[in-house]
Amino acid sequence: MNEHDDVMYQVRESFSGLRMDMPVEKVFANSRGRRRRRLSGLTAAACATVGATAAITLTSGGPVAPAISGNLPPPSSGPVKLTAFSVTNGPGDSTTLILRKGQQYQLDPSALRQALKRHGIPALVTVGTFCRPARGASVSLGPVIHPKTLADGSDAVVMNGSTMPSGTRLSIGYFPNYVRMLLIKDGTRLSCGSTAHQPAVHITPSGPKIRR
Amino acid sequence: MGHEHDEFADFYRASRDSCLRAVTAVAGDRELAEEQVAEAFTRAWMSWGKVRRHAAPQAWVVRTALNLGVSWWRRRHREVPLADHDAAAATGLGDGVDPALIAALRRLPARQREVLALRIFLDLDTETTAKVIGIAPGTVTAHLSRAVSALRRDLPRANTVSNATEVIR
Repeated sequence: MNEHDDVMYQVRESFSGLRMDMPVEKVFANSRGRRRRRLSGLTAAACATVGATAAITLTSGGPVAPAISGNLPPPSSGPVKLTAFSVTNGPGDSTTLILRKGQQYQLDPSALRQALKRHGIPALVTVGTFCRPARGASVSLGPVIHPKTLADGSDAVVMNGSTMPSGTRLSIGYFPNYVRMLLIKDGTRLSCGSTAHQPAVHITPSGPKIRR
Repeated sequence: MGHEHDEFADFYRASRDSCLRAVTAVAGDRELAEEQVAEAFTRAWMSWGKVRRHAAPQAWVVRTALNLGVSWWRRRHREVPLADHDAAAATGLGDGVDPALIAALRRLPARQREVLALRIFLDLDTETTAKVIGIAPGTVTAHLSRAVSALRRDLPRANTVSNATEVIR
C-alpha cells in the first residue's frame, strides 16, 4: 500500500478477532418474517375495509383459542392493530410467552401482566420504556427464561415461574422492534426509560407514581 | 431463486466479518454494530437483485448499517435486545481489540472513521470509497491521511506496528 501501511495494518489486525456469528439462515428468517408481517399488515388493512364483520367475529367469541392473547383495540377508523402476545402452557410445567414486534402490533401491558400472573409469573410490563433497578445488579435471568427467535421474527420465551427467586418479578419492556427483559427484586427503586444510563422517569416501590 | 439464495449465502459468509469490523470501527460499539449489520444484511437480501449489481455490495451493507438513522442508533445503543438477556452495555469491544485504539478511533471525526473503515476492512480503493460515500477522491485521500496521522500520534508506542504482532499473538 503506502506510507499508511503500518497504522492500517495495526487497525486491521486489532479487529481481526471480531466475528459475526449469526448464521445466514437467520438473515433469511428475518426477511421471511418481515415479508410475512407486511403481508399480514396488508391483510389486516383489507379486513378493516370489510368493516364490522371482523370486529363482530372477534368480539362474539369464535373458536376458543388455546392461548390467552393480548387484547385487540376496539374497532376504530384507525389502522388495525394485531395481537402482540400470547401466553400458553407448556412445554411441561413451563409457560411460553410469544411476543410479536412491529408497528402493526399493540401490546396491552395490563393484559399481559394479568396473563402472566395467572401462570404464576409476576411481571412489570411497560410499553415504550423499560424499568431496571436504579442501583445495583439485577437478578440473573438464566435459570428463569429461555428465549429464542421464531422464524417470523417473534420472540418466544419459555419461562418457569417456579424457578423465579422469591420476591422477584419480571420486568418486560416492549418496544415496536424489540423487547427487553430483566428480573428485578420487589421493592427495588426502579429507573425507567428508553435508555439504561439516562432514565427518563423513576418509579418508586411505594406506588405507581412516575416523576420526571 | 435457488441460485440467488446460494449467491447471497456465499456473499454473506464471505463479507459478514469485514462488514462487522468496519461498522464497529465507525460506531465504536460492537453489540450495536452487530445488530446494525444484521439488519443491513436482511435488507440486502430483500433487495438482492439490486445489491448484487452494486459496485461494492459489502460497502452497500456497511453504508446501510451506518445510515439506519440516528434515532435508531440511539435507541439500540441504550437498549439490549431480549436475546442478550439484558447483559450490561458493553464498555469495550472485547475480542482482543486494543482499548487504546478504540479510544483513538472515537476521537476521529465520523467521516474520517468511515473512510478508514472502508479502506481497511473492505479493501476499497480511493475511487470506490469516494463513490460509495459520495465525496471527491481527493477528499478521501485527505481524510485517510488525517486519520492515519491522528492514530499514529495517539496510539501508545507499545502498539506501533513493530510490536503489533507481539500484542496480538
